[in-house]
Amino acid sequence: MKIHPFLKYVDLTIISVILAATSPAFGQTGYDVAKSVDERPEPADMKTDLTMILTNSKGQTRTSTLRLINVDGGKKQMLWFLSPADDKGVSFLKIEHDDQDDELRLWLPAFKKVRRISSNKKSEAFMGSDLSYEDMTNRELNENNYELLKEDEVVLNIPCFVIQTVPKPIAESEYSRHVTWIAMDGRYPVNEESYDHAGKLLKSKTFIFKKQNDYWIPTEIYVENIQKTHNTRLNFKNIHIDTGVDDDLFQEKNLKRLPIE
Amino acid sequence: MKRFFILLAVGMEILYAQWNYAGYIHPSEMISTLTGKEIALPFRLSEFKFSYTKGDFDLKISTAIETRWSSGKTEADLREMYVIWYPSFGEVSVGKQILAWGAVDGNNPTDNLNAYNYYYMFLAGTDRKIGSLSIAVNYYAGDWKLTGVVIGEHRPNKLPFNEPDFPLELPPEPSHFLPVGDPLEYGLKAQITAGESDISFSWFKGHDRSFALADPEKFTVGFRKTDILGVDIVRFLGDVTLRGESAYFLTGTDFNSPFQVKAEYGQYALQMEYTTLSDITLNAQLIGNQYFWFSGLTLDPALGPVPVTKHNFQMGTGTPFAVISDSGLLTSASGQLLDNRLELKGLLYKNLKDAGTMLGGEINYSPVENWTIHLALNQFIGDSSDPRNVFTTLEAFSHIRAGVEFNY
Repeated sequence: MKIHPFLKYVDLTIISVILAATSPAFGQTGYDVAKSVDERPEPADMKTDLTMILTNSKGQTRTSTLRLINVDGGKKQMLWFLSPADDKGVSFLKIEHDDQDDELRLWLPAFKKVRRISSNKKSEAFMGSDLSYEDMTNRELNENNYELLKEDEVVLNIPCFVIQTVPKPIAESEYSRHVTWIAMDGRYPVNEESYDHAGKLLKSKTFIFKKQNDYWIPTEIYVENIQKTHNTRLNFKNIHIDTGVDDDLFQEKNLKRLPIE
Repeated sequence: MKRFFILLAVGMEILYAQWNYAGYIHPSEMISTLTGKEIALPFRLSEFKFSYTKGDFDLKISTAIETRWSSGKTEADLREMYVIWYPSFGEVSVGKQILAWGAVDGNNPTDNLNAYNYYYMFLAGTDRKIGSLSIAVNYYAGDWKLTGVVIGEHRPNKLPFNEPDFPLELPPEPSHFLPVGDPLEYGLKAQITAGESDISFSWFKGHDRSFALADPEKFTVGFRKTDILGVDIVRFLGDVTLRGESAYFLTGTDFNSPFQVKAEYGQYALQMEYTTLSDITLNAQLIGNQYFWFSGLTLDPALGPVPVTKHNFQMGTGTPFAVISDSGLLTSASGQLLDNRLELKGLLYKNLKDAGTMLGGEINYSPVENWTIHLALNQFIGDSSDPRNVFTTLEAFSHIRAGVEFNY
């Protein structure tokens, strides 16, 4: 039977629309993808033991162990250094605010003082690692512009969106842009490349997430400072989520005592 | 049987608590750059800190071993032993403890809760302080932190009498120290966080930590009563951190003495801090004293009783650096390299009132985890035409300090 060309066109159009509608990236912009990451279900709280391994260009390493407790997707975070011995007892409190600058406080046992740190020092390295304070805080969705670069690219066997994030001036970021690979299923970051204000690649990050109790939880983060030939590996162990962490934990007084096992 | 169950209960309490300990062993040596000989002063060879946590309670103990190479004499020191209770509103600590107030690094006019051990006056933090029996309460309410302290004993500064190698000129050791009438000391502090600032107001009522003359014939001394009003602030301006601290002292003789002195004076410390893109921290700190008012007499060794003036008034409390000069500028730079294995520090202190400079440099290298090699140089430059200049007398203290530290 001869098919009228118009009908063929309609069929093709309908088929294309149906295919597009069922495609994950249908109608999505970079902002939509970023928003889906921001809205990804997260546990109410998380407790974990961290091992932070710093490796320099000569392959020499330095290992620290930390205990981390956070709530509300990391908006409130408390961190205690457990080793090496000369760092033991140092602790850090971060409280992110929507309407004002974040609060960062450091407890220094040798001085018996809680020292407030400027949240403007975003580019400063956290305890000598390749993570800056900016890397450790959540990005405000509306403080960045987003562009969807690719709808489907496989990285580490994971199908990903690729988006570009350009911080707005209000973000006062140390970076000019990020290119992030976001897992289609799960909406967590898989890879990220971050560029400095000269447009040069500054850091490359790799994230490993695993599913735990219906949540995608990070188990490993690898950050390489390309320009300094230095890297940091964070391993998350003994992860406990939704244990009912009290919001009152995130107070200055709790910086002074090591967390109870 | 009853005793067995009691012991069992205590044992279970101990087993199911949390224990933590930390410490260091740090042998070191100071060599004079002037004479090439050892500076024979005691130093803290090791420290051991222990904490026991059970529920909302912590027990903290800090002990130290102090030794002197020249004599081999070793002393143990229970520096702190106190219990902390963590209720929902804050923390309450009771016992022999070291407390710290103030926003500025190192030189804190408002931090007068503990006496100083002048053997360690050039060290930082709690290392140079002496613990005292006290109760401290911190109450947190939103952006406010309220602190109350009651100190149950008066502890004076520990001064290195009869130490020929100690750099500062001290009076002869008194024959008798008059006890203070009321040893109780009180402090209150209110801190508020307001955006990019932390602001604190404090009040302290107690007695001086350094003595004043009571009876010149018997060489008896006493401690003036002093009220201190303080304010400190931390403020962030872009990438610069500003820290400021100021204290007003109202002091008066309240012991039996022909030298009844009353005075009002102040101390301040203003600090600016900036971290470069290479993670080098730069600090500049302006420290100074202000003299407002005096009345009474003091004893001049040559002239006898004379009116008190800013030239002969001895401050009895406040930051130790105030003893060295009335106004000085301290600048420093520090950086960490090789993944925090290597720390480099440099500092320069310039006396702004008279001639006098202190130069310091420090290298701390950790070749293996928990081990650190320390090397420091401190050089004092005075005024050769003025032998009474403090920095001229400090020239003899110019030294190299070397040591090895093991942390556990």
